[in-house]
Amino acid sequence: MTVLRPLLVAILLACLAAPALAQRPGDLAAGITEEEVAVTSDYQGARLTVFGVHWRGGRAKSDVVVLLRGPGEEEIVRRKRRVLGLWIDSDPVRFSEAPSFFALASTRPIGTFLSASTIANLGLDPGALARLESSTPADSDPAAYRRALVRLKRAEGLYRESAYGLNLEEDGAFKAPFMIPANAPVGAYSVDVFLFRNGRLVQQKPGEIVISRIGVEKTIHTAAHTWPLLYGIATVLFALAAGYLAAFAFRRR
Amino acid sequence: MSLYLPIAEMSVNALLIILVSGGIGFLSGMVGVGGGFILTPALIFMGIPPSVAVATQASQITASSFSGVIAHARRRGLDLRMGLLLSAGGVVGSTFGVQIFAIMKALGQLDLLITIFYVFFLGVVGALMLWESLAALQRRAKGGPPARRRRKRGWAHRLPLRMRFPQSGLFISVIPPIGIGVLTGVLAAIMGVGGGFIAVPAMIYLLRMPTGVVVGTSLFSIIIITALVTVLQSAQTQTVDLVLAVLLILGGVIGAQFGARLGARLKAEELRIILGVIVFATALLLLWDLVAQPSELYVLSR
Repeated sequence: MTVLRPLLVAILLACLAAPALAQRPGDLAAGITEEEVAVTSDYQGARLTVFGVHWRGGRAKSDVVVLLRGPGEEEIVRRKRRVLGLWIDSDPVRFSEAPSFFALASTRPIGTFLSASTIANLGLDPGALARLESSTPADSDPAAYRRALVRLKRAEGLYRESAYGLNLEEDGAFKAPFMIPANAPVGAYSVDVFLFRNGRLVQQKPGEIVISRIGVEKTIHTAAHTWPLLYGIATVLFALAAGYLAAFAFRRR
Repeated sequence: MSLYLPIAEMSVNALLIILVSGGIGFLSGMVGVGGGFILTPALIFMGIPPSVAVATQASQITASSFSGVIAHARRRGLDLRMGLLLSAGGVVGSTFGVQIFAIMKALGQLDLLITIFYVFFLGVVGALMLWESLAALQRRAKGGPPARRRRKRGWAHRLPLRMRFPQSGLFISVIPPIGIGVLTGVLAAIMGVGGGFIAVPAMIYLLRMPTGVVVGTSLFSIIIITALVTVLQSAQTQTVDLVLAVLLILGGVIGAQFGARLGARLKAEELRIILGVIVFATALLLLWDLVAQPSELYVLSR
């Protein structure tokens, strides 16, 4: 990588000339190693790296933050309540537009150089992105539900924040590795690269990656949702054929 | 070897699933039960969403029952008339069961419904299995004659709408067989099991069918019921995972065939005790999850 870096910087410099890639030439350039991820039958999640280079503005302290975000979806958070000695999931609270996947990599913890309002405005906090759709039960705190949403998604590996996950080199090059687990949904993921100087946003570069099913995975998923009845009948026919084959193969002679 | 399940939307170890379904198929083949009531909880413990585990499991039972019924039909151990009546009840029961399944899924209480059904039925069946096999062992130790079932006329013989069943040598009301079918159908839809563990004792003790035709006949109705459940679940809840089904069928069917061969040469009582312990322990484990103070009070449901 050390040998490659000057080359990478040179390529990125060349890229900067292209108007499509630079909003304001001279500050930030970025790319993604994989822009299309295919979900095949051996899919175990995807690894990708967001890399780039930024121009350091004098003595100001630069920070780069990369946000990888999956499509927004509805989430229902329930709180367990004891009913007749059993813990039952009750008191549902609905959130819409909660990021299905959220991964943040930064040069240092974002709370150390950004104000809470900036973090919320730029969408760097997954809890703040989720919109509360229903009223919360009378005796509960909406914030507790919001915290629970983030905690539960984190436990599933779908929300990940890596405070030092972005490696910023002296020459301005940076790279941030990401892991998208297999349980993250398919769809269009946004990739945003933010450049901050002294805690102020200097530039933001948007990008996108697409995760899609291909091959058998796509055929089965489409069939199950487009022709559910035929799909069910086909499953039964397969089961009957397998059962018949087994009986035939294991017949006592 | 990892494999991505298109409906469950997760990556699983294919070999592990085949081994687990094969092992449970082997055990159930030895004892002569379907095994769905152990495999479904096992899948849930492995992280497969309960809705997918239950709906997909039904297709595995179709396959293993079909491979079993062929052997029974060959030696005329099948009462077709009775099987059709049970299936008719099963159609009603499973249609009803799939509706409940869909409603509870929409309410976000499907996992609770499945767990409660499992705790109750596994608890009862496990306890009965242990009780019966311990009693059988005790009798054998004493050297006394095996307990004889008295063939008397039960209430199935007194209800109206009586019908002749030549294959079973019975003249009984059609209401009890249909009722057994309805219950089996509900269980198949909600638990992803064949329901043989309810149907077989009911046919022996309630209908007083000769044991020679009971298993074949129950397998016949189980095929019809689980096939219907698979189609209905696909149509209504889209939770049948074909890739998972292939793995389960592969392991389960082969395991059951080997198990049946070995089982024929082994003493059944000891095996029943082992199975009874497993079933009862599974029920306790599931019950514990319901009553123990959870470490996380909140849950995500989709």
